[in-house]
Amino acid sequence: MNEPITNLWSVPLLVMIPILTAIVVNLLYNKARAIRVISIGAAIAVLAISVVSPYGFHWFAGHPAVNADGTYTFTASVFSWKLSLEYYYGPLQQILIAVTSLLLLFVVVIATKSLSKNYGPYVAIVFLTYVSAAAVIMTNDFYNLWIAVELGSLLVAGLVASSGTGYAQKAALKYTFFSALAGSGLAISLGLILGITGYANITDAIHFLMTNDLGGMHAVLYVAFAFLALAWVYAGGLIPVHPLKSDVYRSAFPHATVLLQAQSKLMLVAIGIVLLRMFGALPFAREVMLSISVLTMIIGIVMALIQTDFRWTLAYIIVSHSGLVTVGLSLGTYKGIVGGLFQAVNDIIYMSILLLCCEMLLYFGKGTSIKFNGGIAKKSPWLAAFVILGTFAASGIPPFNGFQSELIIIQAALEQSLPEVAAVVLMVSISTFIALFRAVYSIFLKPGEDHPVRQSEAKRFEIPTTVFVFLSVLLAISFVLGVYPQLALGFLTESALKVVFVPWVP
Amino acid sequence: MEIKELRGIKGIVAAVALLIIFFGVFSSFLQLEGNVARGISEEYNKLAYRIAPNNLASWVYDYRGIDTLLETGVIYVGAVVSVLVLGRGLVRLNVPEEEDIVKVSGMDLKTETMPVLLKYFALPVVILLIAYGLLVVLEAPTSGGGGFQCGVIVSSAYLLSVIIYGKKSPLNMRKKALVAFGTFGWGLYVLMGLPGYLVTGYWQYNVGADLWSWVSTFPGAVPDALKAVFGEPFMLALQLKEGISYATSGILPIINIGESFNVIGAICLIFFAFIYGWSDSEEGASE
Repeated sequence: MNEPITNLWSVPLLVMIPILTAIVVNLLYNKARAIRVISIGAAIAVLAISVVSPYGFHWFAGHPAVNADGTYTFTASVFSWKLSLEYYYGPLQQILIAVTSLLLLFVVVIATKSLSKNYGPYVAIVFLTYVSAAAVIMTNDFYNLWIAVELGSLLVAGLVASSGTGYAQKAALKYTFFSALAGSGLAISLGLILGITGYANITDAIHFLMTNDLGGMHAVLYVAFAFLALAWVYAGGLIPVHPLKSDVYRSAFPHATVLLQAQSKLMLVAIGIVLLRMFGALPFAREVMLSISVLTMIIGIVMALIQTDFRWTLAYIIVSHSGLVTVGLSLGTYKGIVGGLFQAVNDIIYMSILLLCCEMLLYFGKGTSIKFNGGIAKKSPWLAAFVILGTFAASGIPPFNGFQSELIIIQAALEQSLPEVAAVVLMVSISTFIALFRAVYSIFLKPGEDHPVRQSEAKRFEIPTTVFVFLSVLLAISFVLGVYPQLALGFLTESALKVVFVPWVP
Repeated sequence: MEIKELRGIKGIVAAVALLIIFFGVFSSFLQLEGNVARGISEEYNKLAYRIAPNNLASWVYDYRGIDTLLETGVIYVGAVVSVLVLGRGLVRLNVPEEEDIVKVSGMDLKTETMPVLLKYFALPVVILLIAYGLLVVLEAPTSGGGGFQCGVIVSSAYLLSVIIYGKKSPLNMRKKALVAFGTFGWGLYVLMGLPGYLVTGYWQYNVGADLWSWVSTFPGAVPDALKAVFGEPFMLALQLKEGISYATSGILPIINIGESFNVIGAICLIFFAFIYGWSDSEEGASE
């Protein structure tokens, strides 16, 4: 086995290139051409780095770890207490960051092509949203996790508010106000963990807990768990904050929601894994996580079923499927965690397909209402094909990716003797199909009873070439992962094994 | 949500939740009293004399420098988002039917009625505040304070001058300059990670202080020229009971300067936008 390095070259670049890009494009403000070139170049760079990077650690600021005998070391193969802030880039980080980088590229291309002038600050927020997601999934430090979540919450509000409409600003304000609770929860949890262990490094804190008698401090550990779980709920949009998050998903431009939902999934995975590593052995901890997840799935899909606007339907399905991700993680078993992680990857991909299709409806000027639309399939058969296939993927219909991950989660639930959880997953899958297909039928397949204002429009709607390519790429990934899931599972199994058997290892 | 909505069952649920949270946090703090584990802080304290005498500066900007970089980002993003809501960078899809953008206008600031005495008094206070801000940032490695504090002090000087003098403020900063301040500040902080990264592979390794190149497993080496550039200007002779020890805080003073620019740019820009509103033409306090 190779010695893991502690100065992995790629980790700082994945954070600093987007930050520098954000700083520059914000300064450029309305220099559209320059912003477009710089931002697309930067997005390609981070995508390439995430793909070619080897695995390892990065100890920021280059301070060593302290061995038990008081000597210093720069190797990570033997346990020692870290003086530096530690990031880890492993297979899980690679697949999640690579997928998010791909989406970043798509979002940047679409944003710089489809938005009105002055999009420098908007593109800056897009890049910083990516930074918050990448930092959350790579960091092995409670303090840094807190700051990344805090930064991420503010960026979500910025991305939503940038459309400038009244409802978007209201949604952003509400989200900012309540998401402050996520940051505060994480801060209190961090404070208590620091108080008990003296270490902000997650590995070191877990090691301390495993090798020291806490005496009567278990109650403090439960309070720390409760606040970290609160942060998990807020950052990921689980119940009871699902209305806020769905408001955010619906209010942002659909292409921005592509990145927002990816960021949420990464936060759910990152904080969920920390919860399992740190508190997984505490009685009732996983049960609490599982209950929140199941309720999120049910409430999310019920809300999706009663919507009359495609954007709202998608917003609630994203919420519901967030619960699907966390159900897998909350089962806490190897198979459950693999299923949850795989579901996160798949969910990011197929929801992106549907959201980009939704954006196309806005391009066509047809709106996204189920009531005032119809007959789009005739005018844009390709778009109809993409949205129908995306619906199949999201509903867990083979041969697309959603099927594979939902199957693993169902199997994991059954292995844990939780048939009721398996049944709910199945119900969510079927209901997703109903909710989506109801919208798809009304907007695309039903003979056109056009909005009165638009009755004169009979021309064909052409999808822009770039978006056509992006939709094709995402659909191809969805299909390949559905037919050959091992391609993704190979990246996920190591992390799941570590969480279950050696939780102190990031 | 309005306060009246909290009456009835919602209010009871909120009150019970708050009570549970309060009880959980308070009882945890009581249990931790006298039982706080010192953990890694002991190691940081052991190394204190080898970097900045102000140990807090070493913690915040060196050991936990990337945390602080992202915290600096929170301030930067706070400014970008606040000013965006007020009009800088609101975007629309180039589509036939988009909903209208909400326009936010500035405050109705009237300085004509300000007492003359205040106008005479404010100018020296503004100058003193800026001087104090500079002192605080330049002494960051040796005494309490730093970039954050300097930024807040200078921003308060800016706000004071704008409130008293309005558009004729002696501390008249254009909005483009304020954006550039933030850009320079956060950019400088980020780029101070580059020298260490290029020579050791560790982002933001303090090449001026160079604490660890003597450890056998340390990868890379810091060239003497780099040590001199970032270390010599900030070298201090510390009188310890063991004798005189030479230490330099290396890149930390420069990071603090970057931090101060970022905070000044961010907070002043928010003030500017709230007071004058935002339009893409150069107007408001800049004229």
